[in-house]
Amino acid sequence: MNASRLLAFVGATLFAGSVFAAEPAMDRGEYLFRAAGCGGCHTDEKNKGPALAGGAAIKTPRGTFYAPNITPDPTYGVGRWSEADFFRATREGLNPDGAHYYPSFPYASYTRLTDDDLRALWNYLRRQAPVTQASRPHELPWYVRSRSLLSTWKALYFTPGAWQPRPDKDETWNRGAYLAEAVGHCGECHTPRDSLGGPRRGLHFAGTREGPDDSVVPNITPDKKTGIGRWRKSEIIEYLDSGMTPEGDFAGDVMAEVIDRSTSRLTPPDREAIAVYLLSLPPVEHAVRKEKKKPAKGKDAFGF
Amino acid sequence: MKKNTAVGMLILGSLELLGTAAYAESDPEDIIKYRQNVMKANGAHMAAAGAILQGKVDYKKDLAYHAKTLQTINSDIPALFPKGSDFGDTKALDGVWAKRADFEKRAKDTRAKADAFVKAAGGDTKAALAKFKELSDSCKACHKDFRKEEK
Repeated sequence: MNASRLLAFVGATLFAGSVFAAEPAMDRGEYLFRAAGCGGCHTDEKNKGPALAGGAAIKTPRGTFYAPNITPDPTYGVGRWSEADFFRATREGLNPDGAHYYPSFPYASYTRLTDDDLRALWNYLRRQAPVTQASRPHELPWYVRSRSLLSTWKALYFTPGAWQPRPDKDETWNRGAYLAEAVGHCGECHTPRDSLGGPRRGLHFAGTREGPDDSVVPNITPDKKTGIGRWRKSEIIEYLDSGMTPEGDFAGDVMAEVIDRSTSRLTPPDREAIAVYLLSLPPVEHAVRKEKKKPAKGKDAFGF
Repeated sequence: MKKNTAVGMLILGSLELLGTAAYAESDPEDIIKYRQNVMKANGAHMAAAGAILQGKVDYKKDLAYHAKTLQTINSDIPALFPKGSDFGDTKALDGVWAKRADFEKRAKDTRAKADAFVKAAGGDTKAALAKFKELSDSCKACHKDFRKEEK
């Protein structure tokens, strides 16, 4: 990153006015913002809502959530927040008043972001256009309406703190782990949850039939039968880039959005790092796909 | 002679009507199955073309055939989604029928991209790959709006 910035700087200085100057190195905050997919929840793209001013409904088995306005608007957004407020939100899952956020805001993953990356993200957010638009309140069943319950949830499932690289693994693996676990927060959808909404033990990245908006989220551990164990590294990279599976099918729905918004915009080494990391996970046999239905009712063996 | 021809035409015409009637009464599950098979073929030709263009395999001479088949399959995708084929073992979202104009716009785009790919497939690999990528993006764009990842 530093090297490319230096190059861009040298380029811009030497070739000011030429094609080189037209391509500034991407801001680190913007890169992280895309990789983390913030806009996926905070922008209501379905209804062509203004960027980051609050998202479309996210239906889950535990209620319908609306990601709030995170533009720098002082009244409706985060315009009055300090950097410390932003750190507390992402790292500890607390709002500036000290109330707990619901884990639909994936702070269980974002807590692993490094200080430098959180700072870069915050600087990027602060530069966005403020939008005067109130956030929609979540629509929750009575039994999860009390935010004090969330301290129990946190005690059970949440360990705050930045990602610590594993010294026994190489740089690519560590980068992939950081991107998949912290920034890309893959597990927020791909890990099944228990009845209290916490990640189920032993099923990390193993898929769920209870994904957001009633979707079935596939098992992305390298299990040969039920996961992506038959995918080659190059095929995972291709999928994260173009959305094409080894069979030539194309991602749809939420994952197509994730690919458009995040993974296709990563650098090729970052996509490769994610693939390396996924293939290194312990394979978990966990079938989530629906059994194919029997052929139509009321017909004899000849189909009449 | 003329009369015979006329009778023949009439019979042919009636047969055709019968055929249409039989189609209209197709079991929705059969239509769904049919379209899934056609879409699988669509994917298979995409994967094959992709492997050639990325230099994974040396079947450059077959690229035109894959491109042509993709063009044929994608010439009328909405026809695979007639009214009444929304209920059953399908991943098609309600929008396919409820937002038909949007759906048809997407399909039209895919058709245009498949046409462009056919034209580029005979030329140099780089240009063909660029058109292939545009076609890929069009497939994904339609799946994004109109297909459930799994349900």
